[in-house]
Amino acid sequence: MIHVDRYERTWFVIVGMLMGSFVAALVATSLIYGIHVPSPAGRIDPTQLDNTEFATPGLTQDGEKAYTLRVVAHMWKFDFGVKGSMPNITIPAGSKVKILATAKDVTHGFYVEQHNVNMMLVPGQVSQVSLTFAKPGVYHIICHEYCGPGHQAMIAVINVQ
Amino acid sequence: MQSAQRLAHQGHRISFPATKLLTSEQWLVGAHIITAFVALSLGIFLGPFQVFRRAPMLKLPIPFFSYYYEALTVHGVVNALVFTTFFIVGFSYFVVQRSLQREIWKPKLAWGAYWIMLIGMLMTLYAILSGQANVLYTFYPSMLAHPLFYVGLTLVIVGTWIVTAILFMTYYAWRRESGPTERVPLAVFATLTNYTMWCVATLGVAIEVLFMLLPLSLGFVNTTDPQTARALFWFFGHPLVYFWLIPAYISWYTMLPKQTNSKLFSDPLARVAFILLLIFSIPVGVHHMYVDPGVSEVMKVVQWVFTFAVAIPSFLTIFNIGAVLERAGRLRGATGRIDWMWKQDWWNPIVAAQLVGMLMFVVGGISGIVNASLTLNIALHNTSWIPAHFHTTLGGAVTMTFIGIAYWLIPMVTGKQLYSNKMALVQIYTWFVGMLSFGFTYSQAGLLGVPRRTDLGSAPYINAEAVPYLNASVIGGVLLLISSILLFANLLLSIFASKTAYAEAPPIDTKVESESPLFLERWGFWLAVVVVLCIVAWGPVFLETVDFASTFNAPVYRPEVPLPIK
Repeated sequence: MIHVDRYERTWFVIVGMLMGSFVAALVATSLIYGIHVPSPAGRIDPTQLDNTEFATPGLTQDGEKAYTLRVVAHMWKFDFGVKGSMPNITIPAGSKVKILATAKDVTHGFYVEQHNVNMMLVPGQVSQVSLTFAKPGVYHIICHEYCGPGHQAMIAVINVQ
Repeated sequence: MQSAQRLAHQGHRISFPATKLLTSEQWLVGAHIITAFVALSLGIFLGPFQVFRRAPMLKLPIPFFSYYYEALTVHGVVNALVFTTFFIVGFSYFVVQRSLQREIWKPKLAWGAYWIMLIGMLMTLYAILSGQANVLYTFYPSMLAHPLFYVGLTLVIVGTWIVTAILFMTYYAWRRESGPTERVPLAVFATLTNYTMWCVATLGVAIEVLFMLLPLSLGFVNTTDPQTARALFWFFGHPLVYFWLIPAYISWYTMLPKQTNSKLFSDPLARVAFILLLIFSIPVGVHHMYVDPGVSEVMKVVQWVFTFAVAIPSFLTIFNIGAVLERAGRLRGATGRIDWMWKQDWWNPIVAAQLVGMLMFVVGGISGIVNASLTLNIALHNTSWIPAHFHTTLGGAVTMTFIGIAYWLIPMVTGKQLYSNKMALVQIYTWFVGMLSFGFTYSQAGLLGVPRRTDLGSAPYINAEAVPYLNASVIGGVLLLISSILLFANLLLSIFASKTAYAEAPPIDTKVESESPLFLERWGFWLAVVVVLCIVAWGPVFLETVDFASTFNAPVYRPEVPLPIK
């Protein structure tokens, strides 16, 4: 039907093995390290946030070194219930934090430095991730989706002590 | 009876002069290509200044634009949507007319489509340049632009639908005349796969614009669903990149062999590659939404697998084009195992632009596989790694190849030689080095968490480790600025100051030697395969995002005002 050169057939095998090994590596690392991409964690009416758990965003302690952080992203701030242009919270090293976040107005981004946390915050959707802050340090949360003229200043800070 | 029919059809056949364009070709192809480059001249220069603005040691304001994101919107919309579309349409007309040796179906309709697209472009530009559409080229709701922004983009897309009809009708007229067993030239085959894919893909963005964004911006409705809109956008957004890439592949597969005195290694496998691109380019768009909250992990995995499948035609291309270049290198005296790789025609701008484009595509392809890798994507989604990636693919392989095409096609349109080959060579190599250094610095900064689409010049915080990379990116910016100036100087001088006549045959095949399987040309069948795959890969995604009880209730906003539009 279609003539395929001998060398080209070898090339197909090489390409197949290459892509196959990429798939295997990705599946293996995801399973071993338990890496997940975000998946639906609930819907929410962005106009009715005051009637939900996002009415009072902020950090709540669930146990020893276990926290839940609720975040409402809006133009152009991450609202943790903390005042200031760059909201700042402090937690002890080794804390496990469950983050629940949503966007009140337009789409925002949620990126935590050095922690492989990267989510879109989309109005109408709840984004959820859990992570452990093992090492002390100052980690910035950065909005990485354009959300208007104040976008570049939409940054928050997590102090791990 | 049959001969009378033959005669009737021959009315559409024209004999094209071997080394010149017909006046009708000059105008139609010329109008599209020149419009594309005029648009590019508006968008291209903003790129380097965005780099300068984002470099902590400079923080230069962007000339003529007080608002960074307005300049960024122009850069994205004009370069990625307007330049590419006009260039591809003009190039497609040229390829189809010349390969089939017949005039396109209804040339007047083609002019109609041109004016529709031009008016659309002007409307969109008006909306952006009057500061009423600072929404970037992805225009995600619930951010809203002026209605003319959407009307304009709709007109551009409607224009391309008319172009599709013209190209297919031309093909069917040729088919009727040539009988059922003649193979269509590869360049036309690839063009038809491209527009088939495009017509399916644009349905996503058409639904988004016509049923969501336009009614919102006109005030007919007040609320929307951003997650569904993102899914509709990326249904279109990924095939869009193949719409850009396929014309570059057409140049590599069908023109480069002539330009290097080589020969295409396998015509049938080239066709298989284009069919694979057609099939797998659409069920992959979720890889732009790997970290979106509204799409399940299962569907992300499904589209990840399809995304890896769409890499296969590019691997096929590496072999086929590699064989073309090996033969070219051997003709230039290469005798060893790999010395053909560098024994190429690096001093011919038309060839060099494509070679350099391919080298950048190797880099962009590898970074693309990284982006596509589901979980690795977490480390780089929306960081400056992403612009680093697509500036080596769209800004590298595609744009460099289009520029290489322009270096012979614009002389064919004007009948005058390119003003300066030397200038073209310097342009190509500064672009190459500039884009690679931009790509390197921005990908490194991205891995350190520097966001894309962000006015870093006024950001209160930048990761200190990333600062040296952002400063070093200025080198890439300067080289690309020089390259862009040389490009437009050369094109302007070629059009207005070149005196020597240009008389070379276009690198177009009119006959097909190989016996590729005829089922590859069953467009209805491939369209059905595409539709089935779209339903499998996208159906569940839309079922997940759309829930009529609780979606479509998000208010909309002007980007500048943090209060909902009433």
